Amino acid sequence: MSVNYRWVQWNRHKRVYDATAVGAIALFIGAFVIVGSVVYPGERALSGPILLLRAFGVTALLLLHIVLAIGPLARLDRRFLPLLYNRRHLGVMLFFVALGHAALVFLFYGGFGNRNPIMAVLAPDRALSWPSGLPYEKFGFVALMILFAMAATSHDFWLKNLTPRVWKSLHMLVYVAYALLIAHVVFGAMQSERSVLYPVLLSAGVIGLGSLHLLAGLREVSRPRNAEAQLGVELAGWIDAGRTDAIEDGRATVVCPGSGERIAVFRDGDAFSAVSNVCAHQGGPLGEGAIVDGCITCPWHGYQYRAADGQSPPPYTEKIPTYEVRIAGERVYVNPSANAPGTPVEPARLEGKGDG
Amino acid sequence: MAEQDRDSGIYVGYLPTPARDKRFLRVLIPVLLWLGAITTGLVAWRMQDPGTGVWNISNEQTWEGVLRADPYPLLEIDGAGETEIVLLVEMGKFGPERARAFDGRRVEVTGFELERDGRRIFELVPEDRAISALSDAPETQTLVSAQLGAVTLRGEIMDSKCFLGAMKPGEGQGHRACAILCIRGGIPPMLVTRDASGNASYYLLVGTDGAGLAPDALDRIGEPAEISGELTRRGDLMMLMIDPGSVRGI
Repeated sequence: MSVNYRWVQWNRHKRVYDATAVGAIALFIGAFVIVGSVVYPGERALSGPILLLRAFGVTALLLLHIVLAIGPLARLDRRFLPLLYNRRHLGVMLFFVALGHAALVFLFYGGFGNRNPIMAVLAPDRALSWPSGLPYEKFGFVALMILFAMAATSHDFWLKNLTPRVWKSLHMLVYVAYALLIAHVVFGAMQSERSVLYPVLLSAGVIGLGSLHLLAGLREVSRPRNAEAQLGVELAGWIDAGRTDAIEDGRATVVCPGSGERIAVFRDGDAFSAVSNVCAHQGGPLGEGAIVDGCITCPWHGYQYRAADGQSPPPYTEKIPTYEVRIAGERVYVNPSANAPGTPVEPARLEGKGDG
Repeated sequence: MAEQDRDSGIYVGYLPTPARDKRFLRVLIPVLLWLGAITTGLVAWRMQDPGTGVWNISNEQTWEGVLRADPYPLLEIDGAGETEIVLLVEMGKFGPERARAFDGRRVEVTGFELERDGRRIFELVPEDRAISALSDAPETQTLVSAQLGAVTLRGEIMDSKCFLGAMKPGEGQGHRACAILCIRGGIPPMLVTRDASGNASYYLLVGTDGAGLAPDALDRIGEPAEISGELTRRGDLMMLMIDPGSVRGI
């Protein structure tokens, strides 16, 4: 959570996360370089810069698969949440690895000649054959520009100033970058390589990622649309969020209204409160979080909100919409009409311990 | 948010990690690291063989021979058997235009050797000492080319310098932009064909009149191509006399 902007608000987890990520990148690049040098030693050795640019390219693509897998994995299994916490740093590192690949390509393949090195690679004389005629270099370059835009705007300063909606849209372009990079590899490197391993590995990556996203998406889609309550005029239009004892203390159930954002109904002891399921920070699923230190806590980055009014505790300033809650019999009901972000709402309490 | 000792139940970055998540991460992170290293190692393991080209860039040498400006600047070196034809190139991606002034002269050439499958190419040092004339007048004897008839060959048009050792590998889709840059800069173009066992044959590409092709004459560089032309042999070098417009993509 933020009050003012710092370059990075370091804590121990971020340090461990980044050190692990840097170590992983060094390991992946090192494994490629070592194996490549052992397989083709001596007079068969690849040129050093080519070996290195391939190592950077392969590592960048591998990292992109990991980065893209973290989101759905964390939705499917909460134990992956620690990987999501500092994913942005992993994304920035991924950009730099990809930049290293591009820089070596421009320098080595595009340099030392009579043209601008970048133009020599991006705009060579037109190739005429299919499929080698496809401009795979441009695919890679556009993907690199998307990764750059994401890395450059990864700080919360941009999230706040671009607005979360614009920021999220920009960062969803990572899927465009992914598609471009797959095309970059298929119509580039794989045109010259003959091993069946490459299409197998690439297909496994694409199918694996697609399946994870599909599974996570299906889980959301299969969440039942909550029916309107049939409780007379007073609660007409309200939504049945289920039995009170079905909500674990300190946790939430997520309610899907017919339209609009999902609603997270939290239980804190005997009190039931409802807020938007969407965190004001990066749109994280608040209903998958928990109440920590008396505050609703987002599972993605730990942003916190008071259940009673949807406001982050001072000095923080984030606000989310709140909803009215009632308890009737053994069930809890939510008014799907959202209050303005930060509007106080009296929690509903179990019978005998205050009215809902 | 103040740090707390108690387990918050879910992972929150600024609080102690729940024991359940710690246990999971202790298995997950090593597995991920191993899988990643194995994946990049596998990709490296299955790369195409870049060939045996060698660039003796740290070993400056001097050779003697007759310099010819056509079809491209080259050195004719007399040996025990047939005359060896060695193409000359500059550092970077340029042909040696300065060598044309020594056409027909016996010269001493200083530079670095690139060699693949017994085929050599010399990269000149940038200084003026790269070529020094050993005779005042052009050699009167010229090497006779043998006409071997019309052929149609399939292969890839490459720049001779990269393929013979400046780049490993100096062929294929990844290298295409570089090959174009080299040939446009005056590096002599070659057609490289391969037999069923993958053994390469090299053909220097020249015009139908036997003169060198203009640097911008060829299309389909770095692509699979089919070329028809008249095959000739000069010394130990095979040359294919072609109309650049007749190169067809496969």
